[in-house]
Parts: sequence; structure tokens; C-alpha cells
Amino acid sequence: MSASRKKGKKMGIDRKRSLEAYIFLIPWLIGIIVFFAYPIFTSVRLSFSKITSFKGLITEWVGLTNYEYIFFYDINFVPTFLKVVTDTLLNTPLCIVFSLVIAILINRKMVGRGFFRTAFFIPVLLGSGYIMKQLLGMGVDGTTITTGIMVPKLIADLLGTSITTVVQSFLDRITVVLWKSGVQIVLFLAGLQGISGSLYEAARVDGATEWEMFWKITLPMITPIILMNVVYTIVAFFTDGTNPMVDYIYKMNFTNQMYENAAAMSWVYFVFALILCMTAILLMRRHVYDSGTKN
Amino acid sequence: MTAQSSTYRPRRFRLKWRHLTFSRFMLYLLLTLLVVIAGLPLFAMVCRSLMPLDELYIYPPRLIVHRPTLRNFSDLLTSLSSSTVPFTRYIFNSLFTTVVTVLLSILVCCMGAYGLSKHHPAGSNAIFAVVLAALMFSTHVTQIPNYLVVNALGLVNTYLALIIPKIAVAYNFFLVKQFCDQLPDSILEAARIDGAKEFRVFWTIAMPLLKPAWTTLAVFSFVSNWNDYFSPLIFISSNALKTMPLALQTLSGGAGVVARAGTVGAATFLTTVPCIVVFAIMRGKVMETMSFSGIKS
Repeated sequence: MSASRKKGKKMGIDRKRSLEAYIFLIPWLIGIIVFFAYPIFTSVRLSFSKITSFKGLITEWVGLTNYEYIFFYDINFVPTFLKVVTDTLLNTPLCIVFSLVIAILINRKMVGRGFFRTAFFIPVLLGSGYIMKQLLGMGVDGTTITTGIMVPKLIADLLGTSITTVVQSFLDRITVVLWKSGVQIVLFLAGLQGISGSLYEAARVDGATEWEMFWKITLPMITPIILMNVVYTIVAFFTDGTNPMVDYIYKMNFTNQMYENAAAMSWVYFVFALILCMTAILLMRRHVYDSGTKN
Repeated sequence: MTAQSSTYRPRRFRLKWRHLTFSRFMLYLLLTLLVVIAGLPLFAMVCRSLMPLDELYIYPPRLIVHRPTLRNFSDLLTSLSSSTVPFTRYIFNSLFTTVVTVLLSILVCCMGAYGLSKHHPAGSNAIFAVVLAALMFSTHVTQIPNYLVVNALGLVNTYLALIIPKIAVAYNFFLVKQFCDQLPDSILEAARIDGAKEFRVFWTIAMPLLKPAWTTLAVFSFVSNWNDYFSPLIFISSNALKTMPLALQTLSGGAGVVARAGTVGAATFLTTVPCIVVFAIMRGKVMETMSFSGIKS
């Protein structure tokens, strides 16, 4: 920017545009630096050190001690972490398949299309944090709201306990997934709207069935949205307020006041989420349809 | 303007009930079943706010209320009237901080996204990478350093502590940027040639065109800020400055307290009502945005 002063009116158009852009960006940048970037770096620093004085946050470098602690001494961290990881790995594909199927169903021309679209979006309104947490954990001794309502008693008696448990846990999972896929459904709808009708028209002329059209047209065309939704879903599951890991980190911070360990935990957690997203992107990139339009 | 043209796609044929075939019937049945499941949280919430205490702790847990009562609401009112701060104060706190946060956030994020998307400044890739990384962070994770920053700025126990940290939000920025990328440059260029200053271009050309994006954002942002329970819990200790979700939860004893479990149900229900109202008002706009112009990356 100092160069622009020297050049005066001869300032290049690129540089002028750049300068204007930064004027627009300044409020946002200040916000993100003060309330995101700086806290993030503080938390990195915290994760490698020990607080010696809270006044001015004076810390002492201790290397990997905090990480050692959370992996080898903390009895809750590893099991919680593994649970969240398996949950995410199971729920993400379910969520994607589920929301794609629902989006295709309500993308048809049908009576009450608007109603269905709104209805699937409603859990999103409640799903932000505290309320959902209460609903999910509101029964006695930790039973979820879904338990006891999904499998009727009569059928349960016929099937026997072990099968019922499996079915029940599957239904529970489906229900929770459905509550969390409101945004994904809407994103898929947006993607489906973007597929040109003439493709289907041409396929129909050539005698393709609905089933073939789904595999040969819809699915390839929608791959960019699938990729975006996979990333979105992973992030959503990982940062969700009802997530036991987030809960544990919070407890570590505010109840146990072990700030350094909490910081180390959140970094292990974040890096894992990042690796997961990157893996998803790398695995899927080869299959993503590129329409040739540049963003 | 692909967004506009697809909105007005003509209907090819009119639907009538006599088109109802067996497969269509099954489709409706399946969808209705799924809608019932999707609507379950809302339904359960309403039911729980009406349940008497003994029904709340029955085993197995009940979903449908058998003997509805308004007792929970009257209990809530009693505990509210016994507190030193009038209830309207909480409503004002919540409304004021939420509305100001939403408005400022929309303005700041739209400005930033417009600058980044339409001017491509030096370092824009780095900024966008920061945005993507920020999306993956849960706010709970940075809460401690955040508290230190807010404390250092001397904002603890003020309204500003509930507003300022939540203005520059990565998700909002990301959403607006994706929309902004779809705006044709030619319109903005035309305005510039006509001699409009850059801010004027932004305010009178870009903002109206981005309206679907920021109305959607307004709803999302309202819902998440209104329900935000953590920041007031951490930044506010004065009773007079508490927001409604926090006040209601503390007054009714919080989750897990047996004696007042019913009041928690009632409080939860009351907290959600404004979100549902806001969504109902903006519904058409949001669904249209999300399903037509698309957040396509």
C-alpha cells in the first residue's frame, strides 16, 4: 500500500481494485483476526505450554507434555474420541444417502411439494445446540427420545431381544441422522435443480428407464454437491453442540479448568477433522464431474 | 441471472389427484412417515412442556402427553416473578443483542465477501483458506482465549461482549461469497462506468442482488444467536444483562434438576417460539434461495 502513495494517480488498476477490496474487507478481517486467529494461536501455544500466571497469560514451554497427558493419562479422552470418530464415519454416508434420496423424492412434481420441503427443514431450526441436546438426553437414565417409540412392543416380543436391540439402534441412528440432514437435503435440491432437463429428455427418447437415468445422469451430475455435502456433514457432526467430544473439551475448560489439556485436545480433534475432510476430497476428486465452468 | 430465470420456470402440466397411482401413494406414505420423524423433535418439545411431573419421569419415556396441563407454564411464571429482574428485561436483552448482531454481521460479512469475490485482492486465496479452516472450528474450542480477548478489551459484562465477537463469522462469509461469485461482473462494471463510487455499487447494486443470500443468512444467524447459551454464560455474570435462554434455564433450575424438569420443558418451548416465528416469516424466501440459486461451489 505504500507503493500506491508513491505512484499517485498512475496507480495500476489491479492495485486500485486490491486497495478497494481491503477497505471492504477491513471490518471483517479485524473481527476474524481478533476473535478467531488470535485465539487460535493462543490455543496452539497453550497446548504446548503450562500456564504460570493468568495475569497477562504468562506461559512456560513444556513441549508435548499436554499431548502425552491426554493420550496416556486421561481415561476419558481416547474412548470419547473414538466414539465420535466411529459415529461420524457411520453417520456421514448414511446422512448423504438419506438426504439424496429424500431430495430426489421431493424434487418431483407432486402435491404438497412446498410442505415437504419445509417440513424436512424444521429440525434445523431446533437443532442448533442447547435445545437438541435437551431433547436427545431428556429421558431417564440417558435413554433417548427415540427409544421406546420406534419399535412397538408386539414386534419386539416376536423378534427377541438381540435383534430388537440391533433394529432399535439402527432406527435411533436413522432418526438422529434425519434430524441433522435438513441443510443437506436443501443443498441436494439446489443441485438437482441445476441439472438440465434436456439430458433426461434425450435419455428418455433413447429409451432409458428411471433407474438408468439416476445412475447415468443424476448421480454423475450431482457429484460436486455430494462432495460439498460430505465435507459439510463431517464438519457439522464434528462441531455439533451435542457431540460428546465438544462437551468433554468444554468440561475440561470450565469445570476442571485444565486449559492446557483442553487446548491440546481441541487440536488433536481439529487436525483429525481436517484429515478426514482432506481424505474425503482426495478420494472423491477423481469422480467429481467437472462441467467446465470455473468458479 | 440463472437464478432468476429458473425461478420462473413454467409448469409443464397441472397436477391432479386423479393421477394418484399405487406407486405415488407409496411415495406419499413414505414421505409422510419421514416428515413425522422429522417433526418429532418439535412435537416432543410441545408435549413435554405440557406434561405433569410424574409423566415426565415415567419409564419407558413417553412421547405423547396423556394428561396435558399448563402447570409447567404457571410454575415458570411464578419462578419468574420471584426473581429481582423483570422478565421483559430478559426479552429485551435477547432481542437487542440478537438483532444488532444479525444486522452487523450481515453488513460486515456481505462487505467482506463482496470485496473478496469481486475485486480479487492480492492474498485472496490465503483469506479464503482461513475462512475454510475457520468453518471447521467449533466455537467452544476457542472459548478460553476468546474470553481472554474479551476481558482484555474490557467488554465482560456488557452487551458488546455478546455482539462484537459474533460479527465476523466464517460461515456467513462463506455463504455470501458463494452467492457473490455468481453475480455477473458486467452489471457492477456498468454501474462503475456510469460513475458510481465503489460503496454505492456495493450498496445499491450488489446488496439488492444478494438479497436472497442475506435473508437466508438472517434466519440462520438469528436462530443460532438467539439459541446461543454459551457466550452469555461465559461473558455475563450480572443478572440484569442475561439473555432469555440463559435466564430461563437458570430460573427453571437447568437440565437435570428433577423437581423442576417440567419448567425446563416449558422454558425450552418458549425459547424456540421466536425462531419458529422468524422462520415462518422468511420461509418462502429461504426455501427459494436455497433451492433455486443454490450454494454451488
